[in-house]
Amino acid sequence: MSHLNMDSVARATPRHLSRRIRGLSDRAIAWVFVAPTIFLLLAVNIFPLIWTIRLSFTNYAANRPNAEVQWIGLRNYERILSDPDTWATMQATAHFLFWTIVFQVMIGFALAWLINQKFRGNDLWTTIIVLPMMLSPAVVGNFWTLLYQPQLGLFNSIVGFFSGADPTSFSMIGDVHLAPWSIVIVDTWMWTPFVMLICLAGLRSIPDSIYEAAECDRASRWRQFWTITVPMVLPFLMLAVLFRGIENFKMFDLVVQLTGGGPGNITTLTSIELKREAFEKWRTGYSSAYAVILFVTVFGLASIYVKALNRVKDR
Amino acid sequence: MSAHSITEPSVRQKWFAGALVAAYALITLLPLLWIIATGFKSSSDAIAYPPKILFEPTLEGYVNLFTAQTRQSPEYLAQNPPATWYEAIVHDKGMVIAGPSRYGERFMNSVIIGFGATFLSVVLGTLAAYAFSRYRIPLKDDLLFFILSTRMMPPIAVAIPIFLMFRNLGLSDTHAGMILLYTAVNLSLAVWLLKGFIDEIPREYEEAALIDGYTRFQAFMKVVLPQAATGIAATAIFCLIFSWNEYAFAVLLTSGTAQTAPPFIPTIIGVGGQDWPAVAAGATIFLVPVMVFTILLRKHLLRGITFGAVRK
Amino acid sequence: MRGFLHGLVRLRRGPWEMVASVLIATGVFMLMQPFALWAYSWSFLVTLTGTVMFIVVSHFPE
Repeated sequence: MSHLNMDSVARATPRHLSRRIRGLSDRAIAWVFVAPTIFLLLAVNIFPLIWTIRLSFTNYAANRPNAEVQWIGLRNYERILSDPDTWATMQATAHFLFWTIVFQVMIGFALAWLINQKFRGNDLWTTIIVLPMMLSPAVVGNFWTLLYQPQLGLFNSIVGFFSGADPTSFSMIGDVHLAPWSIVIVDTWMWTPFVMLICLAGLRSIPDSIYEAAECDRASRWRQFWTITVPMVLPFLMLAVLFRGIENFKMFDLVVQLTGGGPGNITTLTSIELKREAFEKWRTGYSSAYAVILFVTVFGLASIYVKALNRVKDR
Repeated sequence: MSAHSITEPSVRQKWFAGALVAAYALITLLPLLWIIATGFKSSSDAIAYPPKILFEPTLEGYVNLFTAQTRQSPEYLAQNPPATWYEAIVHDKGMVIAGPSRYGERFMNSVIIGFGATFLSVVLGTLAAYAFSRYRIPLKDDLLFFILSTRMMPPIAVAIPIFLMFRNLGLSDTHAGMILLYTAVNLSLAVWLLKGFIDEIPREYEEAALIDGYTRFQAFMKVVLPQAATGIAATAIFCLIFSWNEYAFAVLLTSGTAQTAPPFIPTIIGVGGQDWPAVAAGATIFLVPVMVFTILLRKHLLRGITFGAVRK
Repeated sequence: MRGFLHGLVRLRRGPWEMVASVLIATGVFMLMQPFALWAYSWSFLVTLTGTVMFIVVSHFPE
């Protein structure tokens, strides 16, 4: 229905324009304004998406465009969803996702709470804390490999200084046990301010009058925190957690520069695995099926996210 | 006890909170300061053990970043004394400058693609946001969700068909292709953010203009656009930062002529591994503009990261 | 709880969106949990069901 409308508007535009734009009805203006956006998104997002779904039922390989393409039904999906190695990359992603969210929520909420004490100069410090979030993850991630070097890295020296361990005795990126934590640390450094900003908005949305009323009822500070502060901030926290969850589920740039998925496959997150299948092994059909699985997962999470977004908007 | 003291934290509490936040801010700033400092170190200082905090600053990293160099025999070097300060730095290492490096081009690619995509997405985004804000559009909520969901898609997954599409259309590794792609990704943010800003402009202004004999379109151009100027500027900076930082599409879809700086900077290598002062110099030049923009944007940051939903 | 069931029966948006969200969350958990391979194998179907359901039920009346 909407497609029909849009098509007719798109075709009618030049004629309308020639009659001067002042002749346009409200309805026509609305469609003329919206059409370019929708058209571009259809061309760059929806058309490729449909193409991906189609390819996911074939054994197409992009580096052999002339080879015969066979329709193989659901076989790609079956192979991905029964492959223990792919399952392992999902678990690596889960480890990354879980711990980054735990650390970012704890540190982010604590920082927001402290900043909300309204001390002097809190704007300045907030701006400084926010800086890492806005920077290019690939460039910063690449530089962190220097900070993580066992001999010359600043990170190892600082950890060594405070713990007494020899800074040359451990390698954050090279060690199988430490590498998953190395990406968690850098992601937490980058994105804690994101959670902090949203929590701060939540804290500031609580009217003082609620606390004043609680004070009149002689509720303790501790009780006020759990019965007023936490429930009021929770919708905002949900929003932050969902968004970080979606972002880290598809994490690519930071980790690929930091560890490249290694050592072995220990930090191979789903996007890194997908990149290998699609652009190194050139199994386009197989990786399209993989992409569809990621699409659906992200799309599902995004619907919940928009629901959370609307809940916060009413506040 | 006055009402003031109930919600207002005590002086000691404030001092304590301030100290903790400042401490965190300094720790978080450390890696960034280290990048900037490393850019001014000599190659040996950059990889010294233990890490050097105090060092003699040199522009060697910046010279290495912008020039391609070749090793020459001592005789040749003795016969050709350096003419400029940067040639002298290279000369001391037994090298001569063979020409400019690729960094300048890659940086310019970032600028062209970044500004091109920002311009397009803000223009299209403003139009769409105005329509979504003011008119009844069938299936409005579904369209808005569809627009937002395009932002959420994993770039690598989208890159597979885009790669094939660009190959067929001859858009691989071109500025036009990347601008189009980044515009599409930025549009969702632009539409959502600008819709929030335009929603805040009272309709009465336009209605007054309509009564004065303006057409709808004139009212949009002469009343709404000036009112939304701050919002449009903030949106533009967010779009610019996104295109500036983007890595996944850039590394998969560009390799030469249209390659931007993020995939290029990590590939800067010197003798035996990465040339850290040069990498740090390249990163500094690349990151500092974003830091400045972030400081300018600080009032709108929250809106930008929540697609305009949270307005403080 | 009564209200929730009532909403389900009368095809209201809120409770049905809740059901779809829980399905999606379950599917995502099944996809990434380290415990059972069969759960991983079936995760996609659960997420897909939840997502399609969400799109449909978000058009139910409030």
